[in-house]
Amino acid sequence: MRRQAIILAVFVLGALGVCPLTASEQVANEAQHGWWAFQPLSDPSPPNVANDGRAPTEIDRFVLAKLELHGLSPAPPADRRVWLRRAKFALVGLPPTPGEMDAFLRDDQPDAYERVIDLWLSSPHFGEHWGRHWLDVVRYTDYLSPRADEAPEEGDVELFEAFRYRDWVVSAFNRDMPFNDFIIHQIAGDQLSAGGEGDVYAEGLIATTLLSIGVWDNGDADKEKIVSDIVDDQINVVGQAFLGLTLACARCHDHKFDPISIEDYYGLAGIFYSTRVLKSLGPVGLHTVAMRVPLVPQEYVQKRESQLARLAELEKLLKPSTEEATKTESTSNGKSEVSSSTPLPEQQRKQLEQEREQLQNDLLPAPSTALAVQDGATPGGLFPEIGDVPVHFAGRYDQLGPKIPRRLPTFFCGTDRAPIANGSGRMELAQWIASQGNPLTPRVIVNRVWQQLFSQGLVRTPNNFGLLGEKPSHPELLDWLARRFIERGWSLKQLIRIIMLSSAYQQASLAGAAADDHHDSYRLDPENRWLARFPSRRLHAEELRDSVLSVAGRLDSQLGGKATINLHQPRRSLYIQTVRSDRRNFSTLFDAADPGQCVGQRNVTTIAPQALFMLNDAFVIENAQHTAAKLAAEIPTDDSARIARAYVILFGRQPTQSEASIGRELLAAAAQRDPSTAWGEYIHVLLCSNEFCQLD
Amino acid sequence: MSFAPLNRREMLQHAGCGVGMLALAQLCGVTPSVRAGAAQPLSPTSLHFPPRARSCIFLYMPGGPSQIDLFDPKPQVTKRHGQPLPIEKPKLMHSKTVDLFGSPWKFDRHGQSGIEVSRLLPHIARHVDDLCVVRSMVADNINHTGAALQMNTGEQAFSRPSLGSWVTYGLGSENDSLPGYVVIAPNPPFQGAPLWSSSFLPAAYQGTWIQDLNQPVSNLRAPNGDLDWQRQKLDALNQLNREHLAKRPFNDELEARIASFELAFRMQMQAPEAFDLAAESTANQTLYGLDDPATEVFGRQCLLARRLVERGVRFVQLYDTGSAGGPNSWDHHGGIPTGLPDRCRGVDQPIAGLLADLKQRGLLEETLVVWGGEFGRTPTREGTDGRGHHPFGFTMFLAGGGVRGGHIHGATDDFGWWAVEDKVHVHDLHATILYLMGIDHKQLIYRFGGRDYRLTDVHGNVVHEIIV
Repeated sequence: MRRQAIILAVFVLGALGVCPLTASEQVANEAQHGWWAFQPLSDPSPPNVANDGRAPTEIDRFVLAKLELHGLSPAPPADRRVWLRRAKFALVGLPPTPGEMDAFLRDDQPDAYERVIDLWLSSPHFGEHWGRHWLDVVRYTDYLSPRADEAPEEGDVELFEAFRYRDWVVSAFNRDMPFNDFIIHQIAGDQLSAGGEGDVYAEGLIATTLLSIGVWDNGDADKEKIVSDIVDDQINVVGQAFLGLTLACARCHDHKFDPISIEDYYGLAGIFYSTRVLKSLGPVGLHTVAMRVPLVPQEYVQKRESQLARLAELEKLLKPSTEEATKTESTSNGKSEVSSSTPLPEQQRKQLEQEREQLQNDLLPAPSTALAVQDGATPGGLFPEIGDVPVHFAGRYDQLGPKIPRRLPTFFCGTDRAPIANGSGRMELAQWIASQGNPLTPRVIVNRVWQQLFSQGLVRTPNNFGLLGEKPSHPELLDWLARRFIERGWSLKQLIRIIMLSSAYQQASLAGAAADDHHDSYRLDPENRWLARFPSRRLHAEELRDSVLSVAGRLDSQLGGKATINLHQPRRSLYIQTVRSDRRNFSTLFDAADPGQCVGQRNVTTIAPQALFMLNDAFVIENAQHTAAKLAAEIPTDDSARIARAYVILFGRQPTQSEASIGRELLAAAAQRDPSTAWGEYIHVLLCSNEFCQLD
Repeated sequence: MSFAPLNRREMLQHAGCGVGMLALAQLCGVTPSVRAGAAQPLSPTSLHFPPRARSCIFLYMPGGPSQIDLFDPKPQVTKRHGQPLPIEKPKLMHSKTVDLFGSPWKFDRHGQSGIEVSRLLPHIARHVDDLCVVRSMVADNINHTGAALQMNTGEQAFSRPSLGSWVTYGLGSENDSLPGYVVIAPNPPFQGAPLWSSSFLPAAYQGTWIQDLNQPVSNLRAPNGDLDWQRQKLDALNQLNREHLAKRPFNDELEARIASFELAFRMQMQAPEAFDLAAESTANQTLYGLDDPATEVFGRQCLLARRLVERGVRFVQLYDTGSAGGPNSWDHHGGIPTGLPDRCRGVDQPIAGLLADLKQRGLLEETLVVWGGEFGRTPTREGTDGRGHHPFGFTMFLAGGGVRGGHIHGATDDFGWWAVEDKVHVHDLHATILYLMGIDHKQLIYRFGGRDYRLTDVHGNVVHEIIV
């Protein structure tokens, strides 16, 4: 019956020239059934390798096996200075200080590497650095348009509370919140309990901001389209971020490549249509504003409301006698309870004034709010109640087909699961995504972590593990890591730790002499799929700016809070506003993620405007002068020693003789122009250098 | 800005992507390592067809200009002014226009073609024999944001690369001291950057937004303007970078970065000249209306557009956001009897000046000019004297760059509601613009997140009837 209805609908729509559906009940094909990412996690043993002296850890045996297969061998270990610089950027996104460098070079204990890793894993700046990657993936933005710090007004569409989500992500990484909990918080945190009855679980509410800061038009006339776009955005971000699936492709038709039917999509859509994001549809022609949820118990909100109501009442009662000038106004509106001609008896007025003063003192402060979601539908919308929704042919809400029960995708979850009966069903969805048995979730996050450490993932399409994604270079290693990850309580810190302790991570990237000995690896594996060398990389936008501040000794270590619009504020770049409407900013110029996209991996581009920024922007020039001033204070007289110190601070090493002499020449020329800025001019050149923004 | 940013990794990514490879192989015509020298411009090259247009200027009227008052006269609506629309309107949840609203303005026939143009556009009317007036445009979205996104990126809801980004990605830039894709908007239109975003294409293909014509590109001036000293610093920098590079012989990204500093240095010397409108003759400034406060702002935008395409900039988009009407200046929900003439006055002479100037310099043949907004306006009345949003049948015009001049394409019904003849969807317009620039819209592909993307998604037909 249902199938007939769909076929009929397809026929009718086809006649109307609307994009027809493909077969409705898609039967997964062989390729889909056999696709690697959809198979249960295997539990491979680390393979045997011919030269196991070069594979001290289990990870290395997986890597070495592939290298041997391709006739390659690993690079020698990186210089300790190089490794320390690499490791600190990897963990906290900052260059090591000269003190840290000295201490590490002097530490000859066998666990020196391990202790350094643990030190920075426990730094509060770890979460700032790793959280940023997660924010890329979930299309986080601080604001829609550039904003000075100002109070929200009624009807303002700005995402004033988005920063709470960013701070929560940072804190979750810092606490090493188990990743499965991290998932559940973001999809269904509003349904987690704080423990005590009536307590508000603020963290859970804030985490669901993931669902409300989506990329949707908050525009004008067609409000229903907005609601359906919000739903689609949520399906899209949940699919790509957690599952590595492009679920949103099934909005208009069955997924062309992956086993996701249009019915699967609308089974999920019912869940999100039953999730309230908007206060209301909003008046036609005006903006649609997201709902705010107070981060305090209901009684608090009610008490404050009754306080405000009583205050308003008192104001009204007291107005005529305190403000003679408004007499006529208050009587002419006809509502004034006390006529101006009969002033309150003195005693009563005093009493009321006392009450008002007391109440003003007792008034509960306005509660903090979050851009959280709640179970419930959009009031006044096409689907105003929690419930199932019909297929939208061609993704259009005005071309509806049969209703689909709220449910999870059948290829992955089977058809015998009971449909969702109570509530939106987000908790069921979250629990399935975060379950041990889900073949995608652990692989996807483990791959993201690997990618952040090695610049490319074992799977190089981090947001797409479907049939159009790339296959993994080391499938067994990926599964082995995913298993260990789950065993160790979905701990990201443990995962990062074991990867960084591998000799694959500790090998050289082939600079200097090592490059000459090892050049075969470039010829045989130009893309470095098999990791016969460590992949060198450019600093990310945030790392570059933070480094400029850090070497100047000016980086503000304060965590969290609202993002600033001012690039010159010495806060970490995480707290410089990202906005969707204006991309003429520092971070975009240096390839930061587009906050309108789920960005699994950033581009790396080299363009002249980046060079113009480094050469001419006041931010760089000022900080060059600050760095010079710091150096002068540390080493007041000896120029050669000061040059050497600059190299240690900026690059973590001593200058060569020729580098030092290039420096002295430039300093001499600069001093002829203006001795007071000469050192700043020199430092400026060093900040522009390739070495400053490159990691070996 | 568009300075050939493909690095080695991206080249390899692209090379694995099937159909896109063809485009890329032809696009490059150079080895990956040369392309990786990101400071090198993409060599100007035709991709799939001989190009009819070398550059494109898109004159964008944000808010949606009223076709029935400008290019699509409807005597039936005038006759039935005040009566209900006699056909069924689409069931939009919140449509709120009422009776038919005849245009308050007269139309006259112009030129040899005799195409009718409203008296609101007397200057443009003189160029009507160069215009191809498409009266049957259709779009899918009735909201500004969605419709403007679709007009600029092909997609209504999500971030996708813009038309200009795709074109520069496909064709590169002919001037390595200027951005390849420039957006000139005195105020940001509603959606801002997503309209000229490169989205998942590398950031180099993003439109460079110029808001203040006096400060066109950031950081273009060396500290204190002292280029000699900057040259000395750059020489020292180069020595240090060469020493660093010598120890890293296989890293072409480092080489590219060295070259990018040299290009930046050249840009500082060459780019300011391109933006210097004072270099134009007084006669030419007058031609664009720079001497009249009403036309000055858009006139400056148009004049700069010409200077840029003349110097090889590939794609220039002008947003008419400089008037008091602000970001959606053509969104005449009310007050159309005064609001529309105001906007027409603002752009009419500048656009006519641009067409005349391009023509007299022989540039019109190789420059495609496109005029329009995200949709049109209803033939029915909203409120007392306004018109609503109307994506179902509206007008755009094209000129130059291989387009058939003095031609009307398509038609709406007698009441100006539905496009009924030779409909041209936004995807078709995009396919046609790409075609005129020598690109097959089905072959300009970029792989992102494991999927192939193109500007026209799975849609789009080239409208050959409007091409000479």
